[in-house]
Amino acid sequence: MNGFGGTILRINMETGEIKRTPTPEKFAREWMGARGFVAKTVYDEVPRDADPLGPENILIMAPGVLTGTFAPAGSKIGFGCISPATNGHADSNMGGHLGAEMKYAGYDMVVFERISPEPVYLYIDDDTIELRSAGDYWGMGSLDLEKRMKDDLGEDFQIATIGPAGENGVVYSCITHDFGRQAGRCGVGAVMGSKKLKAIAIRGTKSIPVHDLPTLTKSTYDIIQRTKTHPLMEPWQKYGTALFVGWSNDHGCFPSRNFQTTYHEGWEGISGEKLAEEILVTHKACFGCWINCGKYSRARIPGKPDIYVEGPEYETIALCGGSCGMTNIHDVAYANYLCDNLGLDTMSGGNTIGFAMECYEKGIITKDDLEGHELRWGNIDDFENVLRMIADRRGIGEVLSHGTKGAAERLGRGTLAFAHQAKGMEFSGYDTRWYSAQLLSYCTSDIGAHHNRSWAITADIEIGQDTPEGKAAVVIYLQHIRPLFDTWCCCRLFWGEVDVTAEEHVDTIGYLTGWDVTFEECMKISEKIWNLTRSHYIERNGGPGRQFDVAPARQLEEKVPSGPAEGQRVGVENFEYMLDDYYYNRGWDKNGNPTREVLEILGLPHVADNLEKAGLLGEPFEDGVPKVRGQRLKPKAM
Amino acid sequence: MIIYLRSGRKLHDLLKPDVDQYTRHVEMQEGATLVEILGELGIPLVMVAFAFVDGKVRKLDYAPTDGDVITIQSPVAGG
Ligand code: SF4
Repeated sequence: MNGFGGTILRINMETGEIKRTPTPEKFAREWMGARGFVAKTVYDEVPRDADPLGPENILIMAPGVLTGTFAPAGSKIGFGCISPATNGHADSNMGGHLGAEMKYAGYDMVVFERISPEPVYLYIDDDTIELRSAGDYWGMGSLDLEKRMKDDLGEDFQIATIGPAGENGVVYSCITHDFGRQAGRCGVGAVMGSKKLKAIAIRGTKSIPVHDLPTLTKSTYDIIQRTKTHPLMEPWQKYGTALFVGWSNDHGCFPSRNFQTTYHEGWEGISGEKLAEEILVTHKACFGCWINCGKYSRARIPGKPDIYVEGPEYETIALCGGSCGMTNIHDVAYANYLCDNLGLDTMSGGNTIGFAMECYEKGIITKDDLEGHELRWGNIDDFENVLRMIADRRGIGEVLSHGTKGAAERLGRGTLAFAHQAKGMEFSGYDTRWYSAQLLSYCTSDIGAHHNRSWAITADIEIGQDTPEGKAAVVIYLQHIRPLFDTWCCCRLFWGEVDVTAEEHVDTIGYLTGWDVTFEECMKISEKIWNLTRSHYIERNGGPGRQFDVAPARQLEEKVPSGPAEGQRVGVENFEYMLDDYYYNRGWDKNGNPTREVLEILGLPHVADNLEKAGLLGEPFEDGVPKVRGQRLKPKAM
Repeated sequence: MIIYLRSGRKLHDLLKPDVDQYTRHVEMQEGATLVEILGELGIPLVMVAFAFVDGKVRKLDYAPTDGDVITIQSPVAGG
């Protein structure tokens, strides 16, 4: 089959049995890769009552149709499972070089089943596939282990690892690769750890068959020539995403001190400019990328060893930095390094520690809980202490290892009101009190609060920050187009930043595979995946769906106390209005349950049957569901 | 004096390039700031995260000099 590696692997971690089957073209065409492969396979195979960290959950590793090809930055790979953070569908995407290497070895998906009796790592060298003992590696930090495995196996192996947090089942553990690229969200690292899978090493030397190589080559050449001179290329190359720290503060959406306010005093000390001036060592790119948004940095803090880390990028600065009260870029880079090496998502990790700092400020967590330490805003030693307790699940670290929702449920005392999460996954680095479409995006997201599902901040500005009207349809459009890139597995920055259109990516898929595919078809696939993961969530957790689309009380009710967004909040009435509008525009009923009509339009009649059996199918629409579900904002919203 | 404003993406349609695909030439009074220039062009300031001049980030109170080539960037999400 053109465009793919050609083989799916199933590995029974308990018995060591490895099965190879050809990748069915129908499956590839209907689900396109990564997020799509995960949604379909996890829905079909994982029992509804399976413990996310138990033997019945599966872990999937899958690149997408564009991975490893000439497509601009076809660098991505997805990991998926049932999330221990949300108890729903999980997929988490990362760049680097692992996905391309996996396709060059000939594989489109690896499904890890059951639990290994002892720590192992997966070794793939083209057709040689082995589970090897990881006894020596168990307990090592993610970054340390990657270096060690490169030394042991050779520089040309691409390596993915988990850290101690993943081994210990912290629900926001990540999978790390390329010394700083992470499948960070949804706790995929904890599921990998639960299977006693410490690492994955892949070397692939084959090639990917292409339907129309001359046209693919010409089209890619034209894109390179055009984007090389794009005006936005230079700022991206120089600063990466960190440059937006200033704008985010100026516009009242930067989280400061656990989202207590939205303008961070001292943000200049953790800005992109500061990063470039003080800690930047070099730029770094993923496979096939000529933007190079990765920033490799060195942090120097008196009394601590100098460390090197990829980052920090915007989200890490917002959550390990602003949300934890930091004002020094060296401290944020060091926090980034600690999270990476311990194997924790910097977003959920930073968010959770910010939450814990507020608990400390309020006397809900005390020195006794922290083995005699404090937990002060902006203090990197305190940050390090509690982070290590989390990774080890020691003392209060055990409580915080469940994320902000799990911790709030254990701590009580009104802490849920300032736990910034949706469905158990922490907010990305944007406060939403002046950005209601972003709040709707977080709360309706299938995997929990993640900006890569829908980043609606500029849509809020274009539509109007003071109105809830007209936002739901745009959020739906964004929820279809943004995760489409996690399905195809190319970097969305070429689309978002340097004007490579989504239609050009679709053309690339056509030249590559020979499929007569359209943008509309891809958007419908994305909508199908969204409805499948929503239905799966409801089936696993019991309906109605609306009860899960819940916003933190602080975002709804507490006015921003200072800064450009002073006095803003979303309000319960506005939020409920947007939810009604959202469900209607999706073709779901008022309870947030998908209807048979929309599921059948999307080719999911069996899912409608399953929901019906469970008593969770949406009530039918009298006049039929809307024909267009999700409207593109003009000129265009990202 | 004349300056050149460049952008792509969301700001492209608002900028209405006339030199090449990404660039618009603008005649302006000496001493005018980017806030004033963008205001005259009808580009909402809230949609401009920063300007980039000669490899340096500038805020919108920057007053361009003759011949400046200025890239303007809209806000974007983290990775
Ligand atoms: S733009 Fe950044 S995240 Fe995207 S492929 Fe390039 S280096 Fe990787």
